[in-house]
Amino acid sequence: MTGAPPVRIVLAKVGLDGHDRGIKVVARALRDAGMEVIYAGLWQTPEAVVRTIADEDADWLGLSLLSGAHMTLVPRVLQLLREAGLAHVGVLVGGIIPEADIPRLVEMGVARVFGPGTPLDEIVHFLREHTGVADG
Amino acid sequence: MALARLLTFLGREQHSEEILRRLTPPARPARVVAVTGSAGVGKSTLIGKMLEVIRGQGESVAVLACDPQSPLSGGALLGDRFRMPTNPQDAGVLIRSLSTPGGHGAITESLGAMIRLLEAFPFDVVLIETVGAGQGDTTVRDLADVLVLLVQPETGDDLQWEKAGVLEVADVVVIHKADLPGADRVEAQVRSMLTLSQRAPAIVRVSARATEGLATLWQTIKQCPLRRLAAEPTQGLLKLAQQTLQTWFTQAQRTQSAALQAILERWERGELSASETGAAVCRFLVESSHPRS
Repeated sequence: MTGAPPVRIVLAKVGLDGHDRGIKVVARALRDAGMEVIYAGLWQTPEAVVRTIADEDADWLGLSLLSGAHMTLVPRVLQLLREAGLAHVGVLVGGIIPEADIPRLVEMGVARVFGPGTPLDEIVHFLREHTGVADG
Repeated sequence: MALARLLTFLGREQHSEEILRRLTPPARPARVVAVTGSAGVGKSTLIGKMLEVIRGQGESVAVLACDPQSPLSGGALLGDRFRMPTNPQDAGVLIRSLSTPGGHGAITESLGAMIRLLEAFPFDVVLIETVGAGQGDTTVRDLADVLVLLVQPETGDDLQWEKAGVLEVADVVVIHKADLPGADRVEAQVRSMLTLSQRAPAIVRVSARATEGLATLWQTIKQCPLRRLAAEPTQGLLKLAQQTLQTWFTQAQRTQSAALQAILERWERGELSASETGAAVCRFLVESSHPRS
């Protein structure tokens, strides 16, 4: 063993939302912070995302949604993660999420919601601080 | 324990010996196929399409997809599986993305161990996607039964093919993106290069986009002999010896650097030839290390 293993995170967009500029910027920032980013990309189904998490043995999942479908898709992903025995995986949400929905997402089990204009360092620090802790 | 977690352990070289010792040998060996070629030639896309063909024939398949690790941050953006859409309910296919440090191998250090694990699981086929290097990455050949090299139109002039490298060791050469103009020319270049060499790899034209040639390619790969079986049975001993020497050498660098320095100086002064120097280092390592048996 040499030091702490790198943080492993899957980044994905679920549903029919074709805006991937933001998630690519985040992917690069996390790579540059020494993390292993598994980029699952556009148009993923919740089932495909959860299977990716399982195969890749990832610590985190970052979902980006700009379509307004977050209150449908995010709970579905969370439920499938629990069913697959992957409740230990931390879930982050980014994109266009109305203020009012944020507490509801957190209540459902999302670790944190990062909106537009979030400094990239803030995401990096959050992941570094909470990796391993979430594993409990 | 879940297979995915075992792969994590092997990748981090944690409990590797213990995991490998506990594996039951597979009833029949997996077919291990390495896919290599330069960045952008279409390795991931082709593997994604081949998964459909292989699953269509009822064989289970695992993919180990290597992507480069940043030499600066140690991080990696692993984007191969994005091009390999599969049915999330299908337990007969597994895709694992591996971050791969720089070097000559274009593959992950622990790849051999991972192949043994997947073989024991058991998967019928293991596909390895190398980092898109293409010219020097011949190391993977030792781990695979079949080495598939992808080339594409407009790869360069004929001099590129005269250079030593992966074309010399490929078992199957795929003329990829064969629907693009220039495919005939690159095929002619590869064929003329190969007529001058002793080996005769199969050449297959494939277009993953137009889904042409995929069945032929898999058929061709299946006709290749399982090289790992055909290898000299004692060959594995060399690998073990190399690993042991490597371990001893790393220890000696830490604890006995003066003695190594002395050998180096004798070589630099011309007292020892290259092979004598190598032998002197081996002798020193054997004598100064204390193996258990």
